[in-house]
Amino acid sequence: MEIKDELKLFDIDFINHLTQEAGNQIDYWDIRATISNGTSIDFTDQKSTEISSYEITNCGIRTFANGGVGFYVLNDLNKDLIRTSFLKSIKLAKLTESLSKHKFKIKEVDPINKNFKIKSKRKLVDVDIEEKILLVKNHEKLASNYSKKVKNTHTIYMDGVKSYVFINSFGSNIYQDLSYLRLLNIVYSQKGGVIQRSINSVGGLGGFEILSTEKAENLSVKTAQESIELLEAKSPVGGKFTIIADPKLAGTLIHEAFGHACEADLILSKESILEGKIGQKVAFDDINVVDNPSMGQGSKFGLPYELFGCYFVDDEGIPSQKTVLIENGVFKNYLHNLETSSRMNIPPNGHGRASTSSSKPQVRMGFTYIEPKDWNVDEMIQDTKNGILCEDFLYGYTNPTTGNFQFKCKFSYKIKNGEKQELMRDVALSGMILEVLKKISAIGDENTFGFSSGICGKGGQSVRVSDGGPYIRIDNITVGGLN
Amino acid sequence: MDNTTDIFELANYGIKIAEKKAPNFKCAEIFFGKNEYTNIELEENSIKYSEIGSDHGVSIRIYNRRGSLGFAFTNKFNKKIIEKIIKIAIKMMNAGTADPNFQNLPLKYKTYPNVKKLYDTSIETLTIEESIEYVKDLIKICKNDNLAISQSGDFTSSSNISYVFNSNDIEVFEKETVFSISSNIIVKNKSTGETSNGFESQIKRKLKDINGTNTAIEALKNAKRNLNRIKIKSKKMPVILSPKGTINLILNPIASAINAELFQYKRSFLVDKREKVIGSEYLTLEDNALIDGAVGSSNFDGEGVPCMNKKIINKGFFLKSGLLHNSYTAGKEGVESTGNGSRRSFSSVPSIGISNFVMQTGTSSIEEMIKDVKEGIFLNTTGDSANIATGDFSGLISQGNLIKDGEIKQALNETMFGINLLDLFKNIDAVSKDSRFYGPFKAPYVRIKDVQIIGAKS
Repeated sequence: MEIKDELKLFDIDFINHLTQEAGNQIDYWDIRATISNGTSIDFTDQKSTEISSYEITNCGIRTFANGGVGFYVLNDLNKDLIRTSFLKSIKLAKLTESLSKHKFKIKEVDPINKNFKIKSKRKLVDVDIEEKILLVKNHEKLASNYSKKVKNTHTIYMDGVKSYVFINSFGSNIYQDLSYLRLLNIVYSQKGGVIQRSINSVGGLGGFEILSTEKAENLSVKTAQESIELLEAKSPVGGKFTIIADPKLAGTLIHEAFGHACEADLILSKESILEGKIGQKVAFDDINVVDNPSMGQGSKFGLPYELFGCYFVDDEGIPSQKTVLIENGVFKNYLHNLETSSRMNIPPNGHGRASTSSSKPQVRMGFTYIEPKDWNVDEMIQDTKNGILCEDFLYGYTNPTTGNFQFKCKFSYKIKNGEKQELMRDVALSGMILEVLKKISAIGDENTFGFSSGICGKGGQSVRVSDGGPYIRIDNITVGGLN
Repeated sequence: MDNTTDIFELANYGIKIAEKKAPNFKCAEIFFGKNEYTNIELEENSIKYSEIGSDHGVSIRIYNRRGSLGFAFTNKFNKKIIEKIIKIAIKMMNAGTADPNFQNLPLKYKTYPNVKKLYDTSIETLTIEESIEYVKDLIKICKNDNLAISQSGDFTSSSNISYVFNSNDIEVFEKETVFSISSNIIVKNKSTGETSNGFESQIKRKLKDINGTNTAIEALKNAKRNLNRIKIKSKKMPVILSPKGTINLILNPIASAINAELFQYKRSFLVDKREKVIGSEYLTLEDNALIDGAVGSSNFDGEGVPCMNKKIINKGFFLKSGLLHNSYTAGKEGVESTGNGSRRSFSSVPSIGISNFVMQTGTSSIEEMIKDVKEGIFLNTTGDSANIATGDFSGLISQGNLIKDGEIKQALNETMFGINLLDLFKNIDAVSKDSRFYGPFKAPYVRIKDVQIIGAKS
């Protein structure tokens, strides 16, 4: 694999030199450097509002000294600057250590010396800007012409390629060529005084082929159709209901309402309600939840690219792997980065992720999902007397300390005597982490399994994530509404 | 990017190249930004992490006479790189569509306001050791409390310098400092095992104004107030918003809704409401960029347009001039830009944003406001935000308490509420005489009558 010229400076001699400089002063260091190039195209009402291109260099040097962490961020790559910044980072770590109460050492893991490359059928750099614009224009046109009720369309195309070097004091030296793309479509429709909007996106790791799947091609038509359907939707009545969540909502629910509380940094800082709960029953007997961001899963969904939330190695050089969070209702594992696994004395599981090389890795999810079981979705609805079928979500969040969470659903259908009825909008769901998973009463089969992808924020950083599951039914959920 | 003269030379060189190389050239702008920061983090109530970094870059915006925009940015500086990104920006511009609504980039201004205290020179001598002292203040408060079991927090100091140049002879630069401190304290009720958190932060221009002790005391107070949570029954009752709640439910939604871009696309619930009463007489708001030393203050915006003070709502009456514009939306509407072209960094084109968004205080004390409530809710924060197109809000009370017989009582779990913001504005029946600055927002306590609360207790 061809290494980008500017990143070649991390050669053996230079790494050896840094190792010598560090000596016994610190117990671990790593350096990440990336060169990113990308395009973004922004259209509103079939007109370009922004067409842009960038090239950005980032570098972050992190050092650990017995519980003190130093991090030095720079924009330029040259040996002298990196060397002096490395020394400054060591100084920061040692100063921090002198004031830190919690002493620990990063436990050594086997080094990885490997290159990784995202495969793409049509490399992003080989597609010229005119073709990318044409695609966006086409989506805008399809959405605008969908109906007279469509008042406003907005399409954002973003792509990026990244050359990424990771080296650390364990002897890892990893070079990656990454490539991602995301297309986001928003449509506003209006009827009388009512305005409704819908948002959909397609994203993945790969090349321009990401946009040639059927789902991607139908993106803007689907969005337009949804925003128009929502015009006729009714506002919900608040109260307690049985809900059936579709794979997108079930995925977000498991991500927000459970996944975040599994992040071991929040466990150590006593901010998670799941502290000390490993081995305990936290959910319905039949449920299994995992986080598996390893590559090669796109094909399972018939996609010619990798899922947006997946990766080869995390941003601390640990290979992505399957981690069981809940097995038969029992809580099994936390998600770890190098620090939390070292402190809890177990092997890391590849969840140290950073949004860029100039941000520090935090404990983050990758692809979190509920495993399918045996319910047929039609039977699940028929078996529900009074309830709400909730499809897709607008957003969700949770407070891991109190365990209280909240979601907004995109589409919600009333279920009466086992029949799907009228559409409702802006249905808000709320509950408590430790209660909700025990209220699950049915889990759908493999045929109902699906996922969605997006961006998740934590501590000011955004990373790519995916989550999913089958249809699931949850009893006795609090639903908020305007009436 | 160490030398100011280099920047001027580089910018002028860039503008000249853009004028020469761009077919059908209309105007161009070069923006330089540089940020240097230090960040100290606290975890498990112990100092854990120190970071020093810098982020600098340059971007070019270029328009042709059809109104098509090309934009490119990078974080390297030299003539060759400038030439390269201009070439790319021109390529982007050529590929874009015509926009007859685009008028021009801002023309040269004769005068700029003279807002003071945006830059605190003490940052130049601030050491890591001194920065750590602020974090130590946080630690002390948590350590000395019986219920507090952990705290995360941080202290950040940063200095920014930004330069705007355009082909219409705008040439301005400004230095500013921002200091911030935050605390998230975890408390535990030892007998029930219940945990809860409280968050508080300060963002200031001046280092001396940062007070770690007060920040942690306030976070601790919030955390304790959020213990002993109960579920309640659904009911209509008055709600008192804390300054944070006021920002969540009044200031932030209005700040979005008066964005001229949203208005022009008719995606704001305040469209067609100008020169009409949209709230009770207690609702008076302005967007004031000229407050000395305030975080949202500035002499010019992200496009080099002078900043000002704009009245938005006067005693419930939404003023005709109450919109926030950048040069594009102003040109489209045929008015002057209000100097609200906001730019998060060199890597973004100017959008529209507030400066200091200030709600006028009232005459009541917060104690009086609570005392008058027989049964109601004290709402500190919600993580939800309103639908700006419709004004509908429905969400969860992240941190709130029951008020009974004029006193703040138990905290709430799984309690939601829903209201249209226009009803909320009309139902404001008291505003406190005290207010708090959180970043660019200045907010008092606000009481709202008749809010539908949805509880989880059947």
